[in-house]
Amino acid sequence: MQSEIFCHSEISPHSTNGRGLLANLRVAVQSGISVRGWRTEAGCQALQGFIALEDATAVERLKLAGARLAGNTHTSEMGFGLYRDTAPKAFREGLVDIALMTDTMGEARAAAISAGVCGFKPSYGQVSRFGLVGLVPSMDCCSILGSRLKDITNVFNVIRGGDDRDPSMPDPVSPLLNASSKRTVEHVTAGVFTQCLQNLSVTELEAFRAALSRLERTGIAVTELSFDDFELFRVAHHVIGSVEASSSCGKFDGVRYGHRAGGSKNWNTMYLKSRAESFSMPLKAYLFQGAYFQFEDYAAFEKACKIRSVLITGIQRLFDDLDILVFPTRRASANPGSANTLETLYHAFSLTLPSNVTGQPALALPGLAPFEGGDLGLQIAGPLFGDERLLRIAEQIVQDVEGTE
Amino acid sequence: MKNDYEAVIGLEIHVQLNCETKMFCACPNRPGDEPNRNTCPICLWLPGNLPRFSEEALEKAILASLALECEIQEESAFDQKVYYYPDLPKGYQLSQFHMPLAKYGCLTIADESGAKREIRIRKVHMEEDVARLVHENEGRTPVSLVDFNRAGVPLVEIVTEPDLCNPGDAMEFLKALIRRIRTSGSSECSMEQGTMRVDANVSIRPRGSDELNSKVEIKNMNSIRNVGDAIAYEIRRQVNCFRTGEPIVIHTRLWDPEKRVTSPMRGKFEGPCVPDPSVPRIVVAGEYLQRIRNLLPEMPEMKAERFVKDYGLTREESLMLSAERGLSEYFEAAVSCDAPPRLAAQWISAHLLPTLKERGETLSTSLLTPERFAGLLLMLEHDEINSSTAKEVLKRIVESDAPLGEIVEQGGYRQVSSVEELEVIVDRVLEENISAVENYRKGASKALGFLMGQAMQATKGKANPLRLKEIMMRKLE
Repeated sequence: MQSEIFCHSEISPHSTNGRGLLANLRVAVQSGISVRGWRTEAGCQALQGFIALEDATAVERLKLAGARLAGNTHTSEMGFGLYRDTAPKAFREGLVDIALMTDTMGEARAAAISAGVCGFKPSYGQVSRFGLVGLVPSMDCCSILGSRLKDITNVFNVIRGGDDRDPSMPDPVSPLLNASSKRTVEHVTAGVFTQCLQNLSVTELEAFRAALSRLERTGIAVTELSFDDFELFRVAHHVIGSVEASSSCGKFDGVRYGHRAGGSKNWNTMYLKSRAESFSMPLKAYLFQGAYFQFEDYAAFEKACKIRSVLITGIQRLFDDLDILVFPTRRASANPGSANTLETLYHAFSLTLPSNVTGQPALALPGLAPFEGGDLGLQIAGPLFGDERLLRIAEQIVQDVEGTE
Repeated sequence: MKNDYEAVIGLEIHVQLNCETKMFCACPNRPGDEPNRNTCPICLWLPGNLPRFSEEALEKAILASLALECEIQEESAFDQKVYYYPDLPKGYQLSQFHMPLAKYGCLTIADESGAKREIRIRKVHMEEDVARLVHENEGRTPVSLVDFNRAGVPLVEIVTEPDLCNPGDAMEFLKALIRRIRTSGSSECSMEQGTMRVDANVSIRPRGSDELNSKVEIKNMNSIRNVGDAIAYEIRRQVNCFRTGEPIVIHTRLWDPEKRVTSPMRGKFEGPCVPDPSVPRIVVAGEYLQRIRNLLPEMPEMKAERFVKDYGLTREESLMLSAERGLSEYFEAAVSCDAPPRLAAQWISAHLLPTLKERGETLSTSLLTPERFAGLLLMLEHDEINSSTAKEVLKRIVESDAPLGEIVEQGGYRQVSSVEELEVIVDRVLEENISAVENYRKGASKALGFLMGQAMQATKGKANPLRLKEIMMRKLE
């Protein structure tokens, strides 16, 4: 059954007789995440009519834990950006408790804020990518949206961990940092980048400062620090992301599945026409950019990779003295839900994409940074594989804010 | 005039590894099966699937690299070689470009004069094979069919330095390479059956200069001989271009084995190679590498030297026996069952292999185990049978697995060596052939041969020839 919100919706959702950690939790997954027997078209003509043969690992584990799969939500093409994404609507209409989304540049976190719920992007390598249609393999992360942090933590514990169908996960999957650490969630130190603050508009700065004051009132020490390369996250993401996207979309040629253009005289024309018709803007422009770097300016791509590793080391080093980094989730001036050009997408997601470049875990919390006409969303990011502690800090923040207000 | 120029030749050799499965999934590595039978969501690259690199492919690729005396790199990685063609289900081929598995190998070859030359190997890298395309252009609508059985089959590509300078060297190099890789057990290396493909890069320059001119890549040679012929043709063609002032541009040419010429195929296309984010880095070191090193059998050249030293074989005998792993193992197994080494070497090449070939068998399929073969040679050595009956016995024991002793006894092959028995026979032969005896005594030495023949016939060829002659001579005096 199709609807405005779901590509496929279940009339009687799967559940294992109400047993399991996630019993009776209503879950939606994005249509780029495979559910066996469901149309898994990832919002793209290239996958028109494609029915998944297997469950994604995350979906398989959700089912085993007793979750009720309500349906799969519409997505922007290949989950790139949020235009046409219906996950926020599913929350607003009260149809689901949890949603899974692929987060490539911050989509899950931005969608959460737009729905007024929490959005968690785990560390890269913590959740199997098996079954994700995906776009940027080194950045895509199966992420969790939910109104209660407790549910998010439970879902994360169910879906995370090693999977022999995704050998790119660290082997063995790195233990979560601080899981058994004596460091409590008291005396949390948060860092804010000067370069991030300088970049904010007056409206954004005001809303963000208000959110930081709330953090301070809960006992978190907020320090401002300089990170000179902050602007490079966007460049590195754009160059590397477009190159990987161009490669991953190479498989959509209409030969084995998906859309095949009719009326071609030979395979070459069939191939070209099918690919031309399979993608639309802004993804098509992104793929062209990626191909440009691959074929015409490989040096730029190599440089972006070097910059990326410098950024990763630079960020990771900060966590010697800090527990979390804090950013707004979205810009006030650009609505992530309607951005549909490369320029506006990269502007709208400029504050979430750094965690996709580094692979570190990040969590968006709603309601703490409201501005005239919306919510910036407070975003906290932890060190790579520091997922568990980040979730505990978030719970503490939510509790304390509720207690102090 | 041709001597004013010299050729600079490098080879790129693709070798299909004889693994059980494909390189990134568990599908059987049997490209020849019914089309598209050996496929799965991974090698068809359905969305959501990720490559699962096969440990067996890594192990065989390391063995092949070690056989070529390469240095295994502690870290290597897969790249995506991007091009769009229906034989490539994901728009890129997983191949190692920036960080190959192995580097700096070498093979020593001997040229026509016997002088040794070292040919350097630049690198050995792993990659997956692509699907097979069948274009049916007959009929109203042309049809292109894709068989994905071969997509993802494990390969190594071996790239030499441009150290070869004539077609003969290139052919010698390929023979040495095939011997080594076959010995390592990682591939059958058959150009005829397509488990090995060779491309040659050829350029020429004025003799004695060290410039490197534009190279031309030649493809589509399906035997070692064709590689030699195609290179020879290409050298002549380029020398001619040089003389007539026609520029040589980088391109690819196809060898036409019928017309025996190369003709241009397409402009050389260099697709980009982007690091693959999904196949983890490959780390080969320490105990793992040592374990694989220990699996590597002795290489043919080393084995040949050892055969000369340990068994007193001639150089020719040892080269012959060491070229094939199965053959040398058979020889050593027979020797370990006490077969005299030189006798074994001679009997393998002069009698055993021809007999098997006649019967359409090979050493590995034959009923004749090295133990029974050694038994036969020991009987010959101990004069229990003579060499002509030994040839008869050999024919019998390749046909049946009955015990050797039984075959010899039942066939009455045992040599007659007892002096008493032989004396009786000789006496009878001398009595029956008085004229021949007289002729001999008058000095006609030919008559001895006749008398010996008669006596041998009387024993049905089983007499110990030396002892028979001894008795004959004594009686004739």
